[in-house]
Amino acid sequence: MTATETTPQISVMVIDDEPQIQRLLTIMLESQGYRVTAANSGKDGLAATAQRRHDLIVLDLGLPDVSGLSVLKQIREWTQTPVIILTVQDAEAEKIEALDSGADDYVTKPFNSGELLARLRAALRRADKGKVEEPVLQFGNLTINLAARRVTRNGEPVKLTATEYALLKLFVQHAGKVLTHRHLLREVWGPDQENETQYLRVYVQRLRDKLEADPESPAFFLTEPGVGYRFMEP
Amino acid sequence: MSLIENRLTSLVGRPWRQYVLAFGLVCLVSTFDLWFQKWTGYQALALVYLLAVVLLALVVGRGATFFGATLSALGWNFLFVPPRFSFHVDNLYDKIMLTTYFVVALTVGTLTARLRTQHETEMKTKLLQESERLGRTLLNSVSHELRTPIAAIISAANGLHSSGALAPAQEQLVTEIESAGARLNRVVQSLLSAARLQAGQLKPKLDWCDVRDVVRAALRESSKVMAGHPTETKIAPGLRLVRMDSVLMQQALGNLLTNAAIHTPPKTAVEISARMEGTDLLLEVSDRGPGLPDREMERVFDLFHRAPNARPGGTGLGLAIVKGFIEVQGGRVHAANRAGGGAVFSIFLPASESPNLHEETA
Repeated sequence: MTATETTPQISVMVIDDEPQIQRLLTIMLESQGYRVTAANSGKDGLAATAQRRHDLIVLDLGLPDVSGLSVLKQIREWTQTPVIILTVQDAEAEKIEALDSGADDYVTKPFNSGELLARLRAALRRADKGKVEEPVLQFGNLTINLAARRVTRNGEPVKLTATEYALLKLFVQHAGKVLTHRHLLREVWGPDQENETQYLRVYVQRLRDKLEADPESPAFFLTEPGVGYRFMEP
Repeated sequence: MSLIENRLTSLVGRPWRQYVLAFGLVCLVSTFDLWFQKWTGYQALALVYLLAVVLLALVVGRGATFFGATLSALGWNFLFVPPRFSFHVDNLYDKIMLTTYFVVALTVGTLTARLRTQHETEMKTKLLQESERLGRTLLNSVSHELRTPIAAIISAANGLHSSGALAPAQEQLVTEIESAGARLNRVVQSLLSAARLQAGQLKPKLDWCDVRDVVRAALRESSKVMAGHPTETKIAPGLRLVRMDSVLMQQALGNLLTNAAIHTPPKTAVEISARMEGTDLLLEVSDRGPGLPDREMERVFDLFHRAPNARPGGTGLGLAIVKGFIEVQGGRVHAANRAGGGAVFSIFLPASESPNLHEETA
């Protein structure tokens, strides 16, 4: 037996009503060694996810029978399996709602295979780490010691205000994931401040000024236009 | 009831017909009353007239109702109130009766007519909403039907490309498919945006934005089209947050960048700048290309308009979309030639309001 045969395959559930996109996803994912189960409606998809466990779900939001969002919400009622949403351009409101309803990430159609696979791997990696809380996180030249509440850049300590630190902590604990404006504002400033986007703009800029090598072309704190921010591991 | 009402309304649709109907109805009721008065007093006949006025108000406009009410008051007075066959009224009791009748007929008639108008307006609004909803559904489904195959083409070509198993000639062919797909995608996207703008379906989502973020996103999105054009970004230091729809603004800037890339020779530098101009935010995309002919200045933002000397590759949609996207946000656009050659496209966005910032005390 060779090593590849003994490695348990990662199984991905694809829920997409468009046969063409469904075939395309299946080919792309299978060529990378994933085992793919496909469903062409939200109903079938829900039934299949309930039947057996999958490591990841790719869900198209434009399903004919039930809206993709309600499928997502139903999935989230009983499992934390990572869900990647497929969406179209100009659908920011939909993306935000999907992320706030528990989607892990989104890919916009037309997608390129590199981007899709990278998002998939990142989501699987985050799910794999699970709830293990590491006290010290390292991102390039940044070190964040959550236990000691200490942040250093190139070994030099960086002074952060309480709000700046709270925001940074939220970002690094969800590294690689898109966080919506609403989510960030609720967590850092409180539920009654969830529409005060201006706070977020100012504080993200301050974090960029203090932590980015070039604040004018950020490598850590990336803007997802109209949706939120993503803290990227460079 | 509503069917009869509709029939009657269409029958008496034109104003003069409404007056004829009012006149006819009053004559009819008068004839009936002349026959009916044998069994009753003249006061009770007023109620029959009143009933006619209410019925009239159900089918005709306010003017004809007013006319009918007046005519019936006169008719009752002339035909039945003693002394009969004269407009003269003798006793106080009849004078009060007549005045009261007139006021009641007018009030009831006007109120009924107003109620009907209200009902009609509601129906019209409902119909309008329904047709808007239908239009939106249609646009969404067309959008879905166009975008899905394009997405499949682009993604499949891209998958083939990145499989790394292609001979050089095949690789070139796949690259052609990819770039043609991307171009088709841009055109469809533009058509859909233009359709949404024309249908008035675009509702901007205004929120505080960092202009630097928006400019960066626009540059990133148009990086493929802009390849071969060096870009320079000039953002005024300390530029404050401005309320805008970041997605629309990013697409507007992206369209201006694409426009500059298409209409200038390769390697022409493109500059993007942002600063405050009075209470407006001023964003400019400028190039050192051939510039615009004088008589084109006013028309470059028109839908489907293309300058006669324009290079191939444009659709005549890009700048119209820029104008639409900026105007729904309350801003305006402007095109001009630069001193020293080249064109400059400006976006002005009102920005007198400044954000309420809650500062930390720590």
